[in-house]
Amino acid sequence: MIRFLKLYEKFGIFIFIFAGAVFLAFATPNFLKLDTILNIIAQGSYAAVVGYGMTLAVTSGGFDLSVESVMALTSVFLAILIPVIGIPLAIVASLLVAAFVGMLNGLIISKLKVNPLITTLSMMTIIKGVALLCAGGKMIVILQKQFMSIGTGKLLGIPIPIYIMVVFFGIFYLVLYRSSFGRHVAAVGSNENAVRISGVNVDVVKIGVYVLVALTSGVASVVRTSQALIGMPSMSPGFVLVALTVTILGGTSLTGGRGNLWGTLLAAVFISMIYYGLNLINVQIFYQMLSVGLVLMLALFIEGLRLRYLKAAKAKGIKV
Amino acid sequence: MRKVGALKWAAGRWDSFGLPFLVALLLLVFSLLSSPFRSVYNLVSNLSFASLVAIGSIGMVFCIMSGDFDISIGSMSALAGVLGASMVARIGGPAAMLVTVALATLCGFVNGVFVTKLRIPAFITTLGMQFVYRALAYIYTTNTPVYIKDPFWLSIGSGSVLGIPFPVVLMVLCFGAAVYVLRKTPFGRYVIAVGTNRNAAMLSGINVDLVKNAVFTLVGFFVGIATVVTASYLGSVNPGMTGQGYEFQVITVVVLGGTALSGGNGNLLGAFFAALFITYMQNGLGLKQVNSYWQYVATGMVLIFAVGINRLKSAILGQRET
Repeated sequence: MIRFLKLYEKFGIFIFIFAGAVFLAFATPNFLKLDTILNIIAQGSYAAVVGYGMTLAVTSGGFDLSVESVMALTSVFLAILIPVIGIPLAIVASLLVAAFVGMLNGLIISKLKVNPLITTLSMMTIIKGVALLCAGGKMIVILQKQFMSIGTGKLLGIPIPIYIMVVFFGIFYLVLYRSSFGRHVAAVGSNENAVRISGVNVDVVKIGVYVLVALTSGVASVVRTSQALIGMPSMSPGFVLVALTVTILGGTSLTGGRGNLWGTLLAAVFISMIYYGLNLINVQIFYQMLSVGLVLMLALFIEGLRLRYLKAAKAKGIKV
Repeated sequence: MRKVGALKWAAGRWDSFGLPFLVALLLLVFSLLSSPFRSVYNLVSNLSFASLVAIGSIGMVFCIMSGDFDISIGSMSALAGVLGASMVARIGGPAAMLVTVALATLCGFVNGVFVTKLRIPAFITTLGMQFVYRALAYIYTTNTPVYIKDPFWLSIGSGSVLGIPFPVVLMVLCFGAAVYVLRKTPFGRYVIAVGTNRNAAMLSGINVDLVKNAVFTLVGFFVGIATVVTASYLGSVNPGMTGQGYEFQVITVVVLGGTALSGGNGNLLGAFFAALFITYMQNGLGLKQVNSYWQYVATGMVLIFAVGINRLKSAILGQRET
């Protein structure tokens, strides 16, 4: 059982993807076409990008509920700034705003020692208010059509969001597995006190984590805003659930210390497959919400099982 | 030394007198600033409005005291509300109200089962359930509000006993019962024990899972009562709007009321005064024509501020708080 669960942690998401692909291949006529597959992957890109950030946060033993508000704020800032300072500068400035919110989260969590749930829950509400105030409660239409190419353009036949997803995967792979910062993040997640005693500046690590989560939310928001060409102060409600679901479904342990970035990427694609399948059978949009909730509960169920078996194995003295 | 003594004196009494003082201050300031605010009608009707959050916060005090959170209560309220309200025509108003409370209690019980059996942090489990309940409410109603025309149900919000609005009476009764359970029954002791040190509680023979499950069921029960009152005020239940952000208001009230996030230490009366504080603050800001979006910002800041005050208090008194 333990061997199975260890394998599941690494490869479980492949089973989901494979089962989903087989089902869609038989159930729908268009699934096995390159365009469809690329589309599904591109649709999963936002969840994947925010999922990378969330994976980092969960690995550090925390998490971030404020992602959807940060996305909304970034979107509003983009819409306000693009006519004033041009597209490239507006993107940079909005990402800086997102990073600033992340820094606030990190400062409150590390310096004031408020728990991440309360901090990011409060920040979610505060930033939602700020986004609505900045936009005057309305959606802001972006007239610069060139901006659309980020979200809808193609390069060598592949949608640009897929490139963004892959590039950020590379960046986060290096950050999480190949840098001292990444090792510190994992160490903080498994035993914060030990890390503190061994001389690592835990506060800086935590602030870095929340800045990165906010940045990924900002990037996802740039892509989404460019597809819609609208600055939305109430963007994607419930997106935090998707981000957490792909992280946990991907095999990142909730107890902290171990992140699975591959799993997050694949889980995002899997969620996108579910959406595609549900769209095809023409059900109401609420079933998407239900399905993501149920998939999260399933992922939690397996995670609970895993933790229980690991504990039992430890009690028996089996090496895990 | 005398200065430290004074600080300690103030910190020790914060839980009992700090919030009533803040509420009084707020009432005074807004009464001076705004003449509609100080009318008896406004003050009394907002006391009734405060019951919506206050009643819901009772279960959450127990929950946070036992060391967990439930963030599915907003969706739970919507699901129980739409199901209950849609049954009025078939089984009558009073029975439909009971069904609403029973369904919310059932949702709480289901949360409890997931939390105790999965042993996953409750906020993540209940985050998942938040979306499941909300989606079920949407699907059941196909996203249309359910209107309540039953006069009995509608009279809950507007009726009064001896001149006191019925929601206020209900709120006082609920708080009385909760204080009794917390202070005078073994169950109250068990909740405190589980929240203070789960392992010690287990080793001393307390059925921790049973206590936790009961706590989550209680959360559902009180949310159910609050849902009945809310629905009575609004005359309808909306699958999308009902309970939106309710979990946030309730957690704010509980934390501002002095219940420690580390568990083991709950303050029911504090939550009551905190509910008054938040409700009158929003009422006052609204009457002063402050943009309603500022209220998101204000409420969010109050929560962080509340945690800060609790930490400061513990630091002065030399207690541990996480």
